Amino acid sequence: MDILDVLFGWMQSTDPAALILAFSAIGAGLAMIAGIGPGIGQGFAAGKAAEAMGKNPVHGGRPATLVMLLGAAVAETSGIFALVVAIIMLFANPLLSMNASVIIIVGCAIGAGFAMIAGIGPGIGQGYAAGKAAEAVGKRPKLQSQVVRTMLLGQAVAQTTGIYALIIALLLLFVGL
Amino acid sequence: MEINAIDGKALILACSAIGAGLAMISGIGPGIGQGYAAGKGAEGVGRQPEAQSDIVRTMLLGAAVAETTGIYGLIVAIILLFANPLISTYMGLM
Repeated sequence: MDILDVLFGWMQSTDPAALILAFSAIGAGLAMIAGIGPGIGQGFAAGKAAEAMGKNPVHGGRPATLVMLLGAAVAETSGIFALVVAIIMLFANPLLSMNASVIIIVGCAIGAGFAMIAGIGPGIGQGYAAGKAAEAVGKRPKLQSQVVRTMLLGQAVAQTTGIYALIIALLLLFVGL
Repeated sequence: MEINAIDGKALILACSAIGAGLAMISGIGPGIGQGYAAGKGAEGVGRQPEAQSDIVRTMLLGAAVAETTGIYGLIVAIILLFANPLISTYMGLM
């Protein structure tokens, strides 16, 4: 038997709507893998803030904690993007109303999930920036505004690939192929 | 080899199980990150034991933030397992 028949033949005898919804479940799961990134990055930032608190609790620790929270909030965005894509696929699935063959729509669902895995990168990178900024502010609290400005600038650049992934995922979900 | 028709609901449930498992992979991140924070917190307490409460507070604050994405993954997995919206969508289509 043809290998393609073995792989995809069963799809022809299955309800198309069920196939789309089923693979949307896999896609939603794949999207959530992006949560690895913010988890690692924010943990790094938390560690650096705790370190700053240990070195200079009175003058350095408190501003370092504030900078850590600000940077961690930015690092969270990739995780939230992934959550939004997963929730769109679960609760407001646009793929059901798409006009294309089932195999293509199924591919869009999985592809959107895979695309969102890119969120790992910005999450780790922005968390690293937040940690280093917290460290720097802990050492020299007077330079807080410059340090925070530099951190936010770098985090904005680090965010770009995550936004590319979000654009591709939304294109796959709402426009299709 | 004859391929049997697969019941639509069964397929959605099967793929939901796979999706729930995939979603939980996100737990890797908070585990690594919070572990790093705990290590740095221990380092800080070892250096300045009198600042222990401040250090632990900052560490727990940051660890709580790092936990969020793991909880997002857990929520999506629990939705897929216990309150599957895809099944109700499918039943609505039938």
